[in-house]
Amino acid sequence: MDLQTLILKLSAYWASKGCLLEQPWDVEVGAGTMHPATFLRVLGPEPWRAAYVQPSRRPTDGRYGANPFRLVKHQQYQVVLKPAPADVQDLYVESLVALGIDPKEHDLRFEEDNWESPTLGAWGVGWQVLLDGMEITQFTYFQQAGGIDLAPITAEITYGLERITMFLARRESVFDIEWAPGITYGEVRRQDEYEVSKYGFEVADTALWQMLFERFEAEAVRCLGAGLVLPAYDFALKCSHAFNILDARGAVSATDRVGVIRRVRELAVGCANAYVASRKTLGFPLLPKAPSGPAEDEAGNG
Amino acid sequence: MAEFLFEILAEEIPAGVLPAAREELLSRATAAFAEARLGGRLAVHSTSRRLALVGEDMADHQRDAETEVTGPPVSIGYDADGAPTKAATGFARAHGIAVEDLRVASLPKGAYLVARKVTPGRPANEVIGEILPPLVEKMTFPRMMRWGDGTPEWIRPVHSVLALFDGLVIPMTLFGVESGRTTYGHRSLAPGRIVTMGVSDWLQKLRAAHVEPDVSVRRARLEDLSRALAAEVGGEPADDAALLDTWAHLVESPGVVRGSYDPAFLELPEEILVTSMREHQKMLPVRAGGQLAPHFLAVCDQTGDPKGLIARGNEWVTAARFSDARFFWDDDGKTRLEDRLPRLGKLQFQEVLGDYLKKTGRIQDLTEKLAARLGLSHLDGMLVRAARLVKADLVTDMVREFPDLQGVVGGLYARRDGEREEVWQALYDHYRPASADDGVPRGDVGGVVALADRLDTLTGLFGLGLAPTGSRDPYALRRATLGVVRILLDKKWRLDLPAACADAAALHSGLPRTKDELLPELSSFLLERLRFLLESKGHAPDTVAAVLTTACPDLADAAERVEAVEALRKEQDFGPLATAFKRMQNILEKAPDEGAELDPAKMTDDAERALALDYLQARGMLDDLVANHRYRDALSIMASLGPSLDLFFTEVLVMAEDPEVRANRIALLRSIRDQFVRVARFSEIRG
Repeated sequence: MDLQTLILKLSAYWASKGCLLEQPWDVEVGAGTMHPATFLRVLGPEPWRAAYVQPSRRPTDGRYGANPFRLVKHQQYQVVLKPAPADVQDLYVESLVALGIDPKEHDLRFEEDNWESPTLGAWGVGWQVLLDGMEITQFTYFQQAGGIDLAPITAEITYGLERITMFLARRESVFDIEWAPGITYGEVRRQDEYEVSKYGFEVADTALWQMLFERFEAEAVRCLGAGLVLPAYDFALKCSHAFNILDARGAVSATDRVGVIRRVRELAVGCANAYVASRKTLGFPLLPKAPSGPAEDEAGNG
Repeated sequence: MAEFLFEILAEEIPAGVLPAAREELLSRATAAFAEARLGGRLAVHSTSRRLALVGEDMADHQRDAETEVTGPPVSIGYDADGAPTKAATGFARAHGIAVEDLRVASLPKGAYLVARKVTPGRPANEVIGEILPPLVEKMTFPRMMRWGDGTPEWIRPVHSVLALFDGLVIPMTLFGVESGRTTYGHRSLAPGRIVTMGVSDWLQKLRAAHVEPDVSVRRARLEDLSRALAAEVGGEPADDAALLDTWAHLVESPGVVRGSYDPAFLELPEEILVTSMREHQKMLPVRAGGQLAPHFLAVCDQTGDPKGLIARGNEWVTAARFSDARFFWDDDGKTRLEDRLPRLGKLQFQEVLGDYLKKTGRIQDLTEKLAARLGLSHLDGMLVRAARLVKADLVTDMVREFPDLQGVVGGLYARRDGEREEVWQALYDHYRPASADDGVPRGDVGGVVALADRLDTLTGLFGLGLAPTGSRDPYALRRATLGVVRILLDKKWRLDLPAACADAAALHSGLPRTKDELLPELSSFLLERLRFLLESKGHAPDTVAAVLTTACPDLADAAERVEAVEALRKEQDFGPLATAFKRMQNILEKAPDEGAELDPAKMTDDAERALALDYLQARGMLDDLVANHRYRDALSIMASLGPSLDLFFTEVLVMAEDPEVRANRIALLRSIRDQFVRVARFSEIRG
């Protein structure tokens, strides 16, 4: 199977399960979790089901396109189901069947793997899903985001697209998988990997990124002050990316590290609280509509 | 007799928590059933998705409970004619019994009326239905989770609750799930609903649905399969009982597949291949003739692998991991350890204690000081080299990928860099002993560097007031301390440890606590670990106490004294010596030290002279024996003083009227006591 067929099949499957097909977020992120369709939507009482591809950048994972498994930029297929339905594991297994994997013939196991993001003030509990010994998915029940205890609980399913394609196609290098019939991942991305690795490790102007971090942070704070949640969150994401670049460049000392992570977390916490307040003001519009008028008023005034 | 069955079906429960969860469920339920007077025997079962209790020989009702309540005194309960008063009738009525059923009990405070009440036992299924939900819901796990609307909290979401007492459903609700008689089979092999009538029906139907609920059966099966599969390729599974335990908790249907990898990977160091298989993939390596064979065994939750898909998948993953390791091995090899040192300056060891480059500097300085104290200064060249490189592997990709291999990777890289054997082995070994069954560093260079690293950490963190408290030991200082003790004992190094700790403390700057505060605390912490180690070797706690209550700057020497006392205790009774020592101790505690010199001329009694003579003769030999650590011989000589000591205490009054005579006798006893405590404080020894 090639990469885009995998994406098409997952999208068709999750759309059939009531997921809205979101699009990738257009700001640099380290993981699909940071997309507002996950990080913000898991907050508050409103139900939400979405699926999307999210290109994710991790400058420290750069290997100049020379390592068959490591990429600065890889792609995650992210599914969020809120509240997590009782049969969420079955739904997930069914998605594998949709990819042509028969669980009766394979070894499918859910092994404990909890997730924590200090920069987002978020953590969850769950598993890595192993198919014949290969980790193909991260399965997480979100417990907290932006320092807020979540209720209801969201299930987050993150498929590693390159890995699954490699595994299904039995290719030993990510660059050898087919993106589309007749064109390999390497042909599309290898030079990018070389360039972004070189940039992150050798070229990035640390003074510039240091300055950008400060400015983005200030701008995020200013947006929060103006009650603009999403712009504030975008700048928080940009801070996080700036930190990742500085980190790859070796420009964050161990002592600074804790402080910088705390500053990004404070922005994330601020955005999370502002988002919940804003949705509340809007009357949590995605909550199931109450049949009579007064209930809506109640929500509106809440 | 009745039977009882209870099964919680949940989403996959982490293998790591299952042993404790089984124990907690069984012990809590056993205690609660006993308290509820239910009788019977409970057993626990589990799989990766289930926790279950099975009860046998249960009574169908609780035992009746009898309680007695004390009422008014007889003198108030009956009037002069012996007729019950209002006090008696009121008391009886309050407890629901007839006044003629009140009994008289004679209590220490007098004769009182007593109401005995019998509460008839309730049906067992009713009681169990009340006991279990709070018991299960209050189980504790290292990391709990909430699900659904965010209210229930347990280790993983619960899907069904099966509860039967003698075939009848025990009604209860657990995390909002109603109990019933249904469960479900294996997730992929037989996911259908199963209706059960009782324990044997449950076992039979689960097994037919590819679920083996008995963890010991699963483990035995996994072990058998592993041996058989390894034997097919002429090898045997690596010996790893802990991994087999984990495997058994990871599955419902115990299966094993064997896979192979390209023998070319065997060029990589075995340590790396084994760690990759074991830690990253939970695989058992296959060995043949003491060497790694290019095969592995992997657990699977399956009945078999007829198409070889599972084996092929695991092979692919293994090849991917090994290629990754080879990439790191080759890539890291482009930079010598030596050239990595500047990057240690960016890796923080501890906020106040600084980065690893600073730590490296301190280890280097301390290594030289330790070598001087240990008479190993001829090794200085190699010590300095090893100390300089000892932390450099922390900034390699290999250690980032395999953190458990820190030290080992440094050693392997140093060997590749062409460092001398003593040096690379020192790097390789410096975290040893990692556990109770692990050895200490092979060579002297490794031993000294390992000591320096640990003493630096210990003095630094104790100096910051970060000594372990209770179960909190985030810096693993207990293990570091035990490492210090093990190295000194195994190498029989005679080190003045308090002085070495002072050396280490002097190399830190900016510590909030002074040396006078931290060093005594660290000393007693070290001695506590020594006590733990000696007792766990089987030495009697009173012997260990007898030695450790004397001055013990040299731990290896203290251990030798413990061994000598223990050896001699097997041959002779130390009771009389302990008694004599206690008498000396008691007298000396009360007697002021007048600093008198022992003077034979001032002796007035034969028993006194005899003791002094024996003692002076012994002392000449003791000095020599103690100096040469010949403690068994020293002890024999001390024990030989027993009879003359006994005679002395029988015949001689120490507190004589004549002050000079008295001072002389006290001086005699003090000299003897001081000789004894060079080995042990015998008053600690129980007869």
